[in-house]
This record gives sequence, C-alpha cells and structure tokens, in this order.
Amino acid sequence: MPDNGGYLNAAYIVAGIIYLGYTISLLRQARRR
Amino acid sequence: MTAAVSGARSVINRGLVLTTLGLLGVAGVMVLALGFTPVEATQGLAQKIFYVHVPAAFTALWVAVPATACAGLLYLWLHDPRLDRFAAASAEVSLVFCLVVLVTGPIWARPIWGAWWTWDGRLTLTLFLFFLLLGYQTMRAAIRDPVERARFSAVLGAMGLVLVPFIHLSVYLWRGLHPKPIVLKPGDPSLPPEMLHTLLYGLGAALLLYVGFVTLRYGIQLAQDQREAADAR
Amino acid sequence: MGNLFRLALVLAGKDLRLELRTRTSIISAAVFAALVLIVFNFARDPTAVATLDLAPSVLWVTVAFASVLAMNRGFLVERENAAFDGLLLAPVPREALFLGKYLANFAFVMLVEAIALPLFVLFFNLDLSHALGGLVLTMLLATMGFVAVGTIFSAMVVKTRFAELMLPVLLLPFMVPPLILAVKTTVPLFAGRPLSEVVDGLRFLAIYDIVFLTLAVLLFPAVVDE
Repeated sequence: MPDNGGYLNAAYIVAGIIYLGYTISLLRQARRR
Repeated sequence: MTAAVSGARSVINRGLVLTTLGLLGVAGVMVLALGFTPVEATQGLAQKIFYVHVPAAFTALWVAVPATACAGLLYLWLHDPRLDRFAAASAEVSLVFCLVVLVTGPIWARPIWGAWWTWDGRLTLTLFLFFLLLGYQTMRAAIRDPVERARFSAVLGAMGLVLVPFIHLSVYLWRGLHPKPIVLKPGDPSLPPEMLHTLLYGLGAALLLYVGFVTLRYGIQLAQDQREAADAR
Repeated sequence: MGNLFRLALVLAGKDLRLELRTRTSIISAAVFAALVLIVFNFARDPTAVATLDLAPSVLWVTVAFASVLAMNRGFLVERENAAFDGLLLAPVPREALFLGKYLANFAFVMLVEAIALPLFVLFFNLDLSHALGGLVLTMLLATMGFVAVGTIFSAMVVKTRFAELMLPVLLLPFMVPPLILAVKTTVPLFAGRPLSEVVDGLRFLAIYDIVFLTLAVLLFPAVVDE
C-alpha cells in the first residue's frame, strides 16, 4: 500500500480551513451589521 | 429593536446554529474516515480524501447551483426580492464548495494519478462552474440597482444552468471519451458498506453545512437590506 | 413571424449602416485579429511543432477573442445616445430588438472572420482549398453560438461599471463548448478528411446554437424591460 497519508492530512486541513475561513468571514459580517 | 431587524437577527442565529452543526458534522466525518473506515488497498490513505471531496462536489453541482438557478427563474416569474437574496446567498456558498472540490481534487490526484491537474472531466466541469460563479459575483458587484441586479443575476443563472450539460458533454468529447454520468461514487461502482456509510454521513454533513451557510448569508443580507431601506427613508 | 424578421432586418440594417459609416470598429477588430495571428506566429517555434498541428487552435483562439472584442460595441452606441430608451418606448417587440442586434452582431463578427481567415492562410502557409467549405460552415455555426450569448450579455453589461472587462469574463465560459466542437471539427478537415466525417460535431454545434439562441430570445425581455 502506498504511503500517502501526508496528502490526506493536507486535504483535510485545507478543506477545514476553507470551511472555517468562510464561517469566520460570515461571522465578522454578521457582527459588523 | 424593530420587528424587522429582530427578524433578520433570528435568521442569522438560526444560520449560526446550523453552520456550527454542519462544521461539527464535517469534522465528525473526518474523524470517522480517519479512525473507523477501512483503508483502500490500491490507493492507500489518500483515498479518504474522497469523503470530503465527493460530498462537496455533490452539494455544489446538484444542490447549490441548481438552487441558485431555480431561485433566479422563480424571481423572474414572481419578482420576490427574497428569491434573489436566496439566489445570491446560494451562489456565494456554491463558490465555497467549488473551492473545496478544486483544492482537494488535485491533492487527491497527485498521489493517485501522479499529476496535480489532469483535466479530469468532473474537475474541469467544477472549474467552469467556479468561473461561472465568479462571473456571477463580479456582475452583481458591478450593478447598483437591486432590481436590475436581481433580474440580470436570474438571466445569468438560467443560462449558466443550461450551459452545464454542454460543458459536461464537450469536455468528454474533447478527451475523446464517452460522457460518463456524474455518479456519486467515482470509479468504484460498489463500495463496501463501511465506506458507503461514511460517504453518506459526509454527504449529510455537507448538506447541513450548505443550509447553515446559506441561512447565515441570507440573514446577513436581509439585515443589510433592511438597514439600507431604513437609511433611505 | 415574417413581420418580426423583417423588423429585425431593418434594425440590423440601421446598426450596420452606422458601423460602416465610421468603420473604426471593423478596422480595430480586423487589426486585432491580424495582430493576434502575428503574435501566435512569433510565439511558436516552427521547428518544434508542425504548423498543421497548431493551426486549428490558433485560428479558433483568434476567432474567439476577435468575436468578444467585436461584440463589445454591441449596445454601446445606443447607450451613449440614450437611444435605447427611445427604442424601448417604441412598440417594438423585444424579440425583434434582440434579433436585430443579433443579426447586426453576427454580420459584423463574420466580416471580421472573413478578414482574419485569408490572413491566417497567408501567415501560416496553409493549403485549405479542400477544407474551405467545411471550415466556413464551422465558422458560421460557431459564430452563431458566440453571438447569441454575446448579444444578450452585452445588453446586460452595457450598464455596468466595467463593461469591456465584464463581457469577456461572463462570455468565455459560454464560448468553450462551441470552441471545443469547432476545433474537433477543424482538425480532421485540415488533415484532409471529408466533410461527412465531421457531421457529428457540426450537429452538436447546431444544437448549441438552437438552444442558446432560443434561450437568449426568451430571456432578453427580462434584461431590457423594467
């Protein structure tokens, strides 16, 4: 079996960052208004 | 606080709850995939990117974008600004999901196929969707009048929706392949049950997150529209 | 139905007469096409890639960019003179308005292509005598598709802040399917294959044209009416 766990971690982390990042952006917009 | 403003506030709060649940769901699926789902023998660990990539792709292509287009068409018929507000929110959220697909896709492709970008039919379609949505946002930002903005967005949305099958067909034609149906489970036609369960949880989490994001975004826009209407008076 | 078409022709004629009087748009679009072809020629290494392999891509990229540029002028004339409001107040069916603009744009883009094609043949030293019929047919069908979407989009962007930039941004995704189909049709034609072999591609182009022309005609009133 190939050793590519690094890619898995990277993908999960980046996906999490995108989802969280968007959430934070929305929260800041909600707070401002 | 006037009734109208508190109405927007409650939508925002509802959106916050749903988004939090969605985020927890996505995190939960990641844990499920990492700890409790079997590893695929030929692809190795990287195959588990699938449990985040495929739900995001499904949500973007089959839920978020059609919702935007349909809301737009309904707006052309009913002229209800709520429909436009929903369409705009859904379009923005579609962009986020497309981004997840376009980033996790290459990260998955690199160890499996050896190249970051292979003009794979589905990823290419998502890339086009991404640009259509960017164009949608750019156009909205360039129009001041809200009614005109709503009408034009609806037209663009409708045309974009019709374009999608043409892109799908022509990309496959370009690669000399027969168009494959965009199935939920790429490649492996029969998933073992644990993998299928994790995938379905992933799908549920992504859909929940979509609803949360759209609700939140809608509430923010509603609050802004009401404030602008109050200022104008 | 016949009345609609006649009205559209009148409107198109008015547009084209205006363009031909000043001639600046045609000249700039033609010069642009020529320049793109020249740049392509210098941007490649003739020893590395055979001309015939690259030729279809060069042709269609040139046609695509020149088309977008040519359609930018679309509703600009009316907007500058507020003539559009006048046109809308007149009892003109919106379909005729669209078709008139469409025909004018189509004629204009075809004219630019008619100038670009001989230049293309000249610069790239190609013998296209056997493929000319099929090529012209492909150009006609692809252009019909480009112009359908381009006309309705130019009506939308003409009032926005960055109209000249907005049109390509919105239009290019829509130009990709006809572009792919056009290249798929052109490659065999350049290689000497008979027209009968590329009929499928031409059929898809025709389907694209019918679908988007219909869609544009149906949606145009939503763009221009309050």
